[in-house]
Formats: sequence, C-alpha cells, structure tokens
Amino acid sequence: MTIGATTSERTAAVERSGFLSKRRVWIVLVRVAFVGGFFLLWEIASQRWIDAFLISSPSRILTSMIAGFRSGELIQHCWVTLQEIAIGFPAGVILGIGLGYAFGRSRLLAEVFEPIIIALNGIPRTALAPLFIVWLGIGIWSKVGVVFLLTFFLNFFNTYAGMRQLDQEYVDLARLMGARGWKLTFRVILPAISPYVFTGIRTSIPFAVIGAIVGEFVAATEGVGFFIRQAAGLFRTADVFVGIIVLMLMVIAIDKVAELIERRALRWQSTSEHVRIQG
Amino acid sequence: MEPTGHGARSRDELVIRIEGVTKAFQTPDRGRLTTLDNISLNVPYGQFITIVGPSGCGKSTLLKLIAGLTPTSGGRILYQGAEVRDLNTKVGYVPQESKLFPWLTLEENVAFGLDSKRYSREERERQLKYFIALAGLAGFENYYPSQLSGGMSKRASIIRALAYEPPVILMDEPFGPLDAQTRMVLQDELLKIWEQKRQTILFVTHDLVEAVALADRVVVMTHRPAHIMDVIDVPMKRPRNIFAIHRQEGFDEAYTRLWDIFRHELHIKTQ
Ligand SMILES: Nc1ncnc2c1ncn2[C@@H]1O[C@H](COP(=O)(O)OP(=O)(O)OP(=O)(O)O)[C@@H](O)[C@H]1O
Ligand SMILES: [Mg+2]
Repeated sequence: MTIGATTSERTAAVERSGFLSKRRVWIVLVRVAFVGGFFLLWEIASQRWIDAFLISSPSRILTSMIAGFRSGELIQHCWVTLQEIAIGFPAGVILGIGLGYAFGRSRLLAEVFEPIIIALNGIPRTALAPLFIVWLGIGIWSKVGVVFLLTFFLNFFNTYAGMRQLDQEYVDLARLMGARGWKLTFRVILPAISPYVFTGIRTSIPFAVIGAIVGEFVAATEGVGFFIRQAAGLFRTADVFVGIIVLMLMVIAIDKVAELIERRALRWQSTSEHVRIQG
Repeated sequence: MEPTGHGARSRDELVIRIEGVTKAFQTPDRGRLTTLDNISLNVPYGQFITIVGPSGCGKSTLLKLIAGLTPTSGGRILYQGAEVRDLNTKVGYVPQESKLFPWLTLEENVAFGLDSKRYSREERERQLKYFIALAGLAGFENYYPSQLSGGMSKRASIIRALAYEPPVILMDEPFGPLDAQTRMVLQDELLKIWEQKRQTILFVTHDLVEAVALADRVVVMTHRPAHIMDVIDVPMKRPRNIFAIHRQEGFDEAYTRLWDIFRHELHIKTQ
C-alpha cells in the first residue's frame, strides 16, 4: 500500500555526508593555508618593505591585544559596546518585524505609510548620529538609538517583503481549518515568511555593530569605537587593529548565535545549501 | 473510530444548495469575464460528487465559492441551511498542489485542524494515528514535506482535510499531476477511507474515468461562461474495485453517457 521514501534514501544521505567530511578537511586546510600565508606576508612586509608604524604587524597586534585584555581596559570597552548592541539590536529586530508584519496584514496601513517609510529610508542614517548625541547625551543611549535605527529598517523591509510574497493559499487553508489570531500568526504566517525574517536579522547584525561604533566615534568616553578613535589619535596602529579585530569577532559571534537559531527555526527547509548546476 | 454519524440523516437531506450562482471577474483590461453562469446544484449528505469540465471553465472557482474564499456575483450558496457569506470553516479543502505547510512535520500538518477545544489529547492522538496509518504514512510522522514524495504529500494533504472531520470535503484535482499508477493507488485509498467515513465529497477532475470510477454523481460543466450541462448518476455498486473498474457493472453505461456529452461539446467547439 505504501509507496515512496525508503531507507535507501536515508543511507544515501549518510554516505554523502561521509564524503563531505573528507572534502571538509581539504577545505579547512586550504583556508588555513590562505589565512596563514596572509599573516606571514604581513609580518614580513612590516619588517622589510613598509613602515610598521603604518601597518603594524600581526605579532605587535597580538601583543597589544593580550596587554589590553590583561589590564581589563579592553574588556570594559567591549562590555559597553555590547550593552549598546544588546539593547538596540533586539529592539530594532522586534519592532522591525512587528511593523513589517502589520504592514503586510493591513492594506490601509501600508498604503498610507509606505511612501513615508521609503522616504525615511532615504536618509543616510549614520548622519543622524550627531543628532542622537544631542538628544540622548554621550552615554550609551545615543548609541542604542543609532543601533536601533540601523537594525529597524533592514528588519522592517525584509519582513514586509516576506509578507508580500506570502502564499494566499496557505493562509486560506489555515483559516478554513479554523486557525485565527495567535495560531494564524505564529503557526502559519510567521513560519511562512521566516526565511525573509532571518535574512533581515542576519544582514542587520553587522549594521548594528556599525551603528554602535559610529555613535562612539562621534562622541563617547567608552566603547570599542572610542578605543579605536583614541588609539588612532595617538598613532597606536596596533591598537586600532586590535579594536577592529575585536569588532569583527563580535559580529561573528552574534552571527553564529543567529545562525544557530535560524538553523533550528528553518530545519524544515531542504538541507542542501547549494543548487547544483552542471554544464 | 466510529463514522461521522451522518447515518442518522435521511439520504436526501441536503448539505449544500447552490442556487443560481453567477461569478464574474474583472479582466486586466477592466472588462468583466463571466465564469460561472447561473449554476444550481443540490448536494445531499454523504454523496461523492465529481465535477468535470473544460479547463478554465470555473471548477476551482466553484469550490472557492463554496468554501467562502471568494464572494458570488449573483445567486447564493446555502450550507447546512445558512448562506455562505464569509469563510466557511465547516468544509475541508484539498488544493490542486498538496500545499502541506512546509514548516510543519507530516504529523503536525495532519493535526493542524484538530482543534484542542474539540478534541482531547487522547482523541487527537488516536485520530492522528488512525488517519496516518490509513494513508500508509506510518513511520513518516516526523518527516517534513520537503522529505516526502509527491504521492505521499498528496495523501497527507487529503488526510489533513479528513482528520478533523468536516462534513464536506472539497478536492480540486487532487491527483492531477501524478502518474497513472500512483493515481490508481490513491483513488483506491480515497475510496476505502470514504467508505468508512462517508463524508460528503466534491471532487474536481479532468479525467473522465476517474470521474466515473469515484462518483455517485458526475456534474458536467460547459465552456465559459459555464453552466451545468448535465448530472449523470453512476449506478455502480460499492465498494468498488478501482483496479478493475472497467469490468464493473454500470461503468460502461455511465462512461459512455459522459463521453457522448463531451464529444458533443467538442464538436460544437470545432465548428
Ligand atoms: N482571481 C481571479 N481574477 C480574475 N479571473 C479569475 C480569477 N480566478 C479565476 N479567474 C478566471 O476564471 C476562470 C475560471 O478559473 P478556474 O480556476 O475556476 O478554472 P478551472 O475550471 O478550475 O480550470 P482548470 O481545470 O484549468 O483548473 C478562468 O478563465 C480564470 O481566468
Ligand atoms: Mg482549477
């Protein structure tokens, strides 16, 4: 009576992942060689060809970084920047998704406010950072504001795009089966648009960090952005690089967390990440 | 699982009455396109009705009207005596593509209509188990739709509509894109399920053999603007054997009548 998937499909998948793991070793090896080569070249360049005062060197950066973390100074700066992101980013994500969803649900809302939102989006948002300092002071709240602003629009636009792509038939079917309110929103609509929502969240992560740093560049007494500006002012190139690397790690760490959540939430999608195109 | 309990109702009690329904759409160039023209049909409880007609004549539209997904332009549809004005949550709907919710597992999909207010936990479990086994999908409960074959998705989509036991199920060419073999197996399964539950089914199809094989009555629609040209009674006994349907008494008679109507219609078109 039953036709369809069998255990052979499952074993095929296992075999493929076994093959992949062998491949993966190669991929990692090539990657490590590439990055290692780059650092080696940098180190050599700083000793022979270009003044280390300008480009610093991997060994100097490492020394500065260790010193910075030992003294606790760098940790304090990271802590401040992380706080700004930890408040501004989730607020921007949630409100962005919320408004995008509301625009998708209410045609009237969308018709009235869409041009306004698009106009607002035309403002180069980092240019507003000085205003935020005026309004919210030089403490963390002005930076929270900039982080929020940068995060909000990306999440709003992605969620709204998802809402416009939403398949009417899924909604109709769910409603015919009696889904309303909470169930319709959280069991049907949000899952249906979740690939868009996660695209919004993940593209906004680097922008959240940019927001915090720009705010700190403009006026601050603490934070990684402040640390970088101060180091540059004193021509401590190694410290500038330390700051940049710390920010990079921050983005990567937040993105990893987001990726984990995304993986769990989107595990229903077919797992192959690459479309195979031959020819 | 006991049957849905329509047995108590008299055979002729109507669940749906379609009274002079017309449906027109706005065309892209701002004109009006009449799709359904003065359609009337009575559907008694527990009947299996198939609907055939040329492509684009408005079969899907008719189902959508009954489900309340789109309003009529004229006439009215009574469902259990009340006029359908808004979404009709008392019908199950099986769309042309399976349209399982891809973010839910097979089991969660089938359970979607099993409202926690109407079904206790145990009833729900029982219902799920029963229908999943009936469709031959046991063992695949935790699979996502992307991991199922086309035929499996189809079956899941059908039991999703059956599981919460709506009195009427609307099926829009559910077996359309499948190969002949899978199709037959699914037709057979559908009839077996239906024979136990005896829900009312309105089943749209392109396939004349399928239309006769499954139905108590076949509704034949014309080209656009569509009206009902004829309703053919299929006198075959049940349970039927799908795999030898041609040899069953009554098949030829009904099929020949249906084919005559179609030939006539095609002939008119070619002049
Ligand atoms: N939302 C709509 N807006 C405008 N016209 C529509 C709409 N839905 C359907 N139509 C028109 O109504 C007619 C009937 O469509 P319908 O989908 O009901 O046909 P059908 O009989 O189901 O065809 P098929 O057998 O090919 O599925 C078509 O000519 C189509 O162009
Ligand atoms: Mg159709």
